[in-house]
Amino acid sequence: MGFILDGLESEAYDRTYSDRELVRRILRYFRPYARQMVLVAILLTLYSAGGSVGPILISYGLDLVQRAHSRSAIPLLVGGILLFGVAGWALNYGRQLLSARVIGNVVLDLRADVFRATVEHDLSFFDEHPSGKIVSRVTSDTQDFSDVVSLTMELIGQVLLVLVLFIWLIRIHVWLTLLLVAMAPLAVWLALRFRRIAREVTQHARRVTAKINAQIQESISGIMVAKAFRQEQAIYNTFAANNRQAYLVGLRRGLTLNTIFPVVGMASGLGTAMLVYAGGLAVRSGAISPGTWYLFMQSVGFFWWPMLSIASFWSQFQDGLSAAERVFALIDAQPKVVQLANEPVPRLEGHIEFRNLVFSYNDGEIVLPGLTLEIRPKETVAIVGHTGAGKSSIARLIARFYEFQGGELLVDGRDIRRLNLDEYRAQIGFVPQEPFLFSGTVRENIRYGRPGASDAEVLAAARRISNGEWLDDLPFGLDTDVGERGANLSMGQRQLVALARVLLKDPAIFLLDEATASVDPFTEAQIQEGLETLMQDRTAILIAHRLSTVKRADRIVVLEQGRIIEEGTHESLLASGGHYAKLYDTYFRHQSLEYVEKPIEV
Amino acid sequence: MARVGTRASPIVGKREFRLEKEYPYNRSGPVRWIVSHLARYPYIPLVALVVTVINNYCYSNIQVVIGRAFDLINRTGWPTGALLGLALSVLGLAVGQGLSGLARNYSLEFLAQRIERDARDELYVSLLGKSQTFHSRQRIGDIMARVTNDVHMLNMMFSPGLMLIIDSAFGTVMPGLLIARLHPSLLLVPGCFLALLAVTLVDYNRRLNPVSLALREQFGTMNAGLAEAIAGIEVVKSNVRQHYEWDKFVQNARRYRDLFVQQGAIQARYLPALVFSVAWAGALLHGLLSWQAGRITLGQVVAFMGLMGALRFPTYISLFTFNLVQLGVASARRVLETINTETELDENPSGVVRPIRGEVTFEHVSFQYDGKPVLRDISFHVEPGETVAIVGETGSGKTTLTRLINRIFDATSGRVLIDGIDVRDWNLEALRSQISTIEQDVFLFSRSIAENIAFGCPDASREAIERAARDAQAEEFILRFPDGYETEVGERGVTLSGGQRQRIAIARAFLTDPRILILDDSTSAIDSATEDLIQRAMRRISRQRTTFLITHRLSQIRWADRILVLRRGRLVDQGTHAELMERCPEYRKIFARYD
Repeated sequence: MGFILDGLESEAYDRTYSDRELVRRILRYFRPYARQMVLVAILLTLYSAGGSVGPILISYGLDLVQRAHSRSAIPLLVGGILLFGVAGWALNYGRQLLSARVIGNVVLDLRADVFRATVEHDLSFFDEHPSGKIVSRVTSDTQDFSDVVSLTMELIGQVLLVLVLFIWLIRIHVWLTLLLVAMAPLAVWLALRFRRIAREVTQHARRVTAKINAQIQESISGIMVAKAFRQEQAIYNTFAANNRQAYLVGLRRGLTLNTIFPVVGMASGLGTAMLVYAGGLAVRSGAISPGTWYLFMQSVGFFWWPMLSIASFWSQFQDGLSAAERVFALIDAQPKVVQLANEPVPRLEGHIEFRNLVFSYNDGEIVLPGLTLEIRPKETVAIVGHTGAGKSSIARLIARFYEFQGGELLVDGRDIRRLNLDEYRAQIGFVPQEPFLFSGTVRENIRYGRPGASDAEVLAAARRISNGEWLDDLPFGLDTDVGERGANLSMGQRQLVALARVLLKDPAIFLLDEATASVDPFTEAQIQEGLETLMQDRTAILIAHRLSTVKRADRIVVLEQGRIIEEGTHESLLASGGHYAKLYDTYFRHQSLEYVEKPIEV
Repeated sequence: MARVGTRASPIVGKREFRLEKEYPYNRSGPVRWIVSHLARYPYIPLVALVVTVINNYCYSNIQVVIGRAFDLINRTGWPTGALLGLALSVLGLAVGQGLSGLARNYSLEFLAQRIERDARDELYVSLLGKSQTFHSRQRIGDIMARVTNDVHMLNMMFSPGLMLIIDSAFGTVMPGLLIARLHPSLLLVPGCFLALLAVTLVDYNRRLNPVSLALREQFGTMNAGLAEAIAGIEVVKSNVRQHYEWDKFVQNARRYRDLFVQQGAIQARYLPALVFSVAWAGALLHGLLSWQAGRITLGQVVAFMGLMGALRFPTYISLFTFNLVQLGVASARRVLETINTETELDENPSGVVRPIRGEVTFEHVSFQYDGKPVLRDISFHVEPGETVAIVGETGSGKTTLTRLINRIFDATSGRVLIDGIDVRDWNLEALRSQISTIEQDVFLFSRSIAENIAFGCPDASREAIERAARDAQAEEFILRFPDGYETEVGERGVTLSGGQRQRIAIARAFLTDPRILILDDSTSAIDSATEDLIQRAMRRISRQRTTFLITHRLSQIRWADRILVLRRGRLVDQGTHAELMERCPEYRKIFARYD
């Protein structure tokens, strides 16, 4: 009877896979466990059949003891009931145990598949799918997917039970059985109607609750400000209004959901009352025995609740299929980065060449309309430009995170699309704009790029960044726990760890998407020292936001709408007074010593 | 003139905000607190109880009527009218059961929603009543969890939790009474059943709980690991660690599978179900034997079995409800804990009340938090009107230092003096009302910009508001919005950048005109023009008062009247830019990259 209140929150989801296809793929996951599944089916059938035998046995027993009035009938009857009860429990035990095993394994297999597919996707995939959604697909949807199967099994069990009982009853008395069954449409109608209303109310409540919760959150975040300015009453009034709204929405939902069971109870009471009378008349006419009459009474309960579940099944089933589709869509997504060959990559020189390269992200808007840029081995190139000029795209293309649509990208004179990606990336050092740390220690994070490195090597790499001074500020040095996503470290410290990670990896090509967030001046100085060390002896491409980084480059490339409009050193570009000079005035001027030394005018 | 230890005792229960008509709840313990919330609506639980009794009476009595009908049709030549009467009473009882069920559900639902609302209101009022000290020390996420999740758990505890408990209680008692009316000896089997049920339920719960808990935790671990790998996908790929991450994930997923199977095994083995089956057979035996002995009719055996069947519900539902109640009480405890928290900072109402000039002195100040030293032996002196830049690494104690000035925290040892008077000897209200803080994250309400600026002085004239905005260099961007000062901020309106929020906060400060200003300016502004504006606004507001600046901006540091250099809780050096450039190597280093 549980189905009727399940799945009310799931939202409509447009499917592109057919039911048949989804079911086929779901079943494929169950194939390795076919034997267990057959056993489950057998146990389920026996259990359901046994469930209907209980009442039948009692009805027969009642007639028997009454007619025979014999002592021997009682132990036999009770023994039978006991046997069926215990056997039912045992059958159910076996079935549940086996199902849990199968479902656990299937979900595990599926999760492993989804995760593997996910991490192999290129970054355009992650742009399309927000990470929260991916996570819920891998963890929650895989669970819901397996629910389809348990749901279907439950349903089959209940249908079987109803069916056995129905066949039994119709053989005894057609009209009474039809009277019993005549109530089924009422049950179905009630269930469907109720679900529609309940679903609407629930989803409305969810939307409104999310909004109200956001408002309540605001009034909590605002408490400090309100107190600082003595505005408590004003902020309380806002809160009280929100709270009242939340109450009304919750009440409406609660009252709606609480209606169904009493109403169903009344309806089934009507059925019982009719059968009491009609069945009694049948007894009177001698068509059935009193025991059978009692069987009909019991059957009302056996009929009603499964009917509710059966009526609710379809929408639940569809929700499960939607979950399955979301999971399969994740697996089936076509990778956009495609390697044409798998050629080995020896130690790179670090020579990079963009030849008339055309690139756009998923939305189709062209970011690089035809970039030609050559970066010599061991050169340090800073790329500057306004937001959206395509700076980060250059670094991401070199890391081969995205596929380009035209032109060529050569690394050491070889087409990047023909390289073995793993070997190639092993020689790339990439620091994203928000340096990312995994939970664990600083040491583990530095070692991430070169898992085989010894402790001494890790320490040496860390020491080479700004003389290792920054390690002294960590409470436990390299063994400091960085917390979730590095939360225990400051933004600046996270950057230092990311730099040490790259240094240990010792890549041929260093790609830095410099952070825009401000860092305290002490740590900033350490980062700059670290950068200096990292750039030595390798090709470095810096997406620069710091004046000191720009000044350090051998060459500055000024990008505008995906085109290179100026190139040169800091001094030469500044002297020529072109685009760079303007960019400098917009983004870098306040970082200059002249600016710092100039008194602030009021 | 050491004046340590002359502080007045804390005033317990002092609150900064209360409603005019407040309902007095009993806050001495979670259960008492819940009961006192219930007592606010005494009639509703009473109604719920009465209708639950009616509901279960009707439900159970249907079985008795069926038994009577059975006896009736077993006789020969029975009148059909009598059967019609019984059928109608089944119908009547079913309708009674349905209506009373609705009444029970509705009344308890109403109660549950009311209590959620009341408790949230109570909690919020108490939060408003707490001192700034409390709020500065509290993590906003924790409070949020109390106000939303915990309060909602209270709701769930009543509906469906309590609803089902009352229902199962009377769903046990009522059939019991009716069985006793058939024949008292028939209570034997149900009695034994209930005892065994209790034993097996306790056992089941004891086995299931640790596994369920571990399963939930493992789900969290798996989720967190997954979220991490996906958030760091660039790093994963550029380091060719996809396979490693996959391995890690599969390990987590496998552990989850193991626990899932373990839980499934425990649930499959649900012994109360077996106990019920056995009791069912036992009841049949006892009923039939009693019939044979002539104590009851066969119809009464039928009624007895029907009443036994009613016990199936508590067999399956009780555990779920007990867990809900347990969770509800735990939530109540947490909510109550927050409500009952007192911040032990002395308000010192009889302390010094006078305008602050703005002289600030730290004398050998040390501060520990949770036993960990945060600041050690800090001494400095600031003249009224000076601008002091505090520089140091993240975590070196900059923010904590400023919080000792407005007494969010009190120094563990040493003294903080304002105008030569220990901050603990000032009237707290007088002290705080003259010190303003502009935090890194400026909070704005979902109201118009003008209202946000005038938040501290609701009766400020439009002219004054606009002047403040101009002084804060905010007018330019405000007027760029089509609605100007009337532009809504937040969800329904525009989103402001960090730099813009900061200037709104500065405009606020211009209106309230504090004597000491603490500015946490660690936000980043990426373009020079914004930087210019912010610098100018800060310069202007800091000129007329003592200002403490926590900043990463070199030019602000460069031009401050005094610079405090903090490193790991110690004051490494202090002085003007020129002095520090000469003698402090740490300080020199931050300017070194400009060579």
